[in-house]
Amino acid sequence: MTRLLDLGIEHIQNIVMDMAKLSERSVFASIESYEKGTSLIKKQIFDWSENLRLMQDEVSDLSMELIARYQPVATDLRFIRSCMEIAYDFSRFGRYSYDIADVLETMGSIPDCDKSYVLKMSNTVREMINLSINALQSRDRNAAQKLYEMDDTVDALYRRYVNEIINPQENQNKKEFLDKTLRCYISALLILRYLERISDHACYIGDSVYYVVTGNSNPRR
Amino acid sequence: MSISKEEIGSSSRHISYSDNDYSAMTERYKLTISDLFAWFGMKQALKNINLNIRSHIVTAIIGPSGCGKTTLIRCINRMHEMTPNAKAKGSVILDGLDIYDKAVDPVTIKRRIGMVFQKPNPFPTMSIYENVAAGLKLNGIRDKKLIDEVVRESLEGAALWEEVKSELTKPGIGLSGGQQQRLCIARALAMQPEILLMDEPTSALDPIASSKIEELVHTLKKDLTIITVTHNMQQAARVSDYTAFMYLGELVEYGPTKQIFENPQNEMTERYISGKFG
Repeated sequence: MTRLLDLGIEHIQNIVMDMAKLSERSVFASIESYEKGTSLIKKQIFDWSENLRLMQDEVSDLSMELIARYQPVATDLRFIRSCMEIAYDFSRFGRYSYDIADVLETMGSIPDCDKSYVLKMSNTVREMINLSINALQSRDRNAAQKLYEMDDTVDALYRRYVNEIINPQENQNKKEFLDKTLRCYISALLILRYLERISDHACYIGDSVYYVVTGNSNPRR
Repeated sequence: MSISKEEIGSSSRHISYSDNDYSAMTERYKLTISDLFAWFGMKQALKNINLNIRSHIVTAIIGPSGCGKTTLIRCINRMHEMTPNAKAKGSVILDGLDIYDKAVDPVTIKRRIGMVFQKPNPFPTMSIYENVAAGLKLNGIRDKKLIDEVVRESLEGAALWEEVKSELTKPGIGLSGGQQQRLCIARALAMQPEILLMDEPTSALDPIASSKIEELVHTLKKDLTIITVTHNMQQAARVSDYTAFMYLGELVEYGPTKQIFENPQNEMTERYISGKFG
């Protein structure tokens, strides 16, 4: 028997999965544009970010309607609540992607910069995005644990980079440091910050999945 | 939740409490149901019910038709045995007293545990005043001043006094459906029960009248323990503090209403409250 509520839940689920694909594409495109040193894709990423924001509003509106009309309970209610939170997380992916693309435009050409930190962190973040989306599709309550472990790696990398900036090597010429590497450090630092926030939101998605399945908040959180 | 010593020591209660008992009272269950079985002839209606009802809260009993909800509450106030060929076995302890003990008078139990039914049933030949006073008079109370006072307090307690205070001599059946139901509640309150059983009290009422009864239940629980049977799950979610889900004569799950409706532990409970069966 298909309940009227099921039709609405299916609709929300479809929008959220569309958001998942779009936000993933957005993040990967922004990282790729940093890697290749091009900012031409900024307009596209902006459009995706705007779409994600509109889709988030659509999820919120639909959720409120389902709650008002059908008074969902138990798993249905937890799922609807979680979809509103997850939609926000995906919209933030889009926003941070745009912010990354904006850094490239602001900083200009940075072909000589050391991109290793960003690329290393972006690999982990890509894995986390995939893991969070798969957890959502398969309702894997154990994904949250793995996501937080990966988030610890991301946080450690970020702190290491900050430390490297504020404590430059002793034999490094300070003027040379400021002239040649300031642009590299600022762009990398900003992008690392955005990637670190994407990582946090991927963890929040894992928390939401845990909550839908178990009805409890993730203990780690 | 606290109970004053004076409230405990009224004449309708025949158990006396020491100061230690009194302070521990609020921590105990008001009603403890253990190993309760019930039959209508050969047909078993209740199977091994074990349930502890907390004091001064609203407990909702939900479940599909025929699951034993009404049978359970009728066992609580010993109405079940009034049905021909009906019998019950087990223990129902009300404040330390086994109500099925042979020495216990069922009439006393019905005085301590009042009941309101699905269809409002004011006594058709009596006025509003007489309806509320009926129980007092049947119990030998003749003091007019006392009766007047109890009638007023009961009608106030049922949130009906302001609507009927100038029409107390008019027939009870002349009131609207919602008012009749509140009159029945007032009639029950006049006996100063400790527990009020409500069997689908709003299913025959319109939404506004139902809403008034729900608000009244919320007010009454300060003074009483309330157990309500309802088919309306949204109502159970609105008014109750604890919810018991029954199915085919058995108690499937019992817990705080928030937990039952947000995160039920039993899959059958989840399916029922989600509307997937029932």
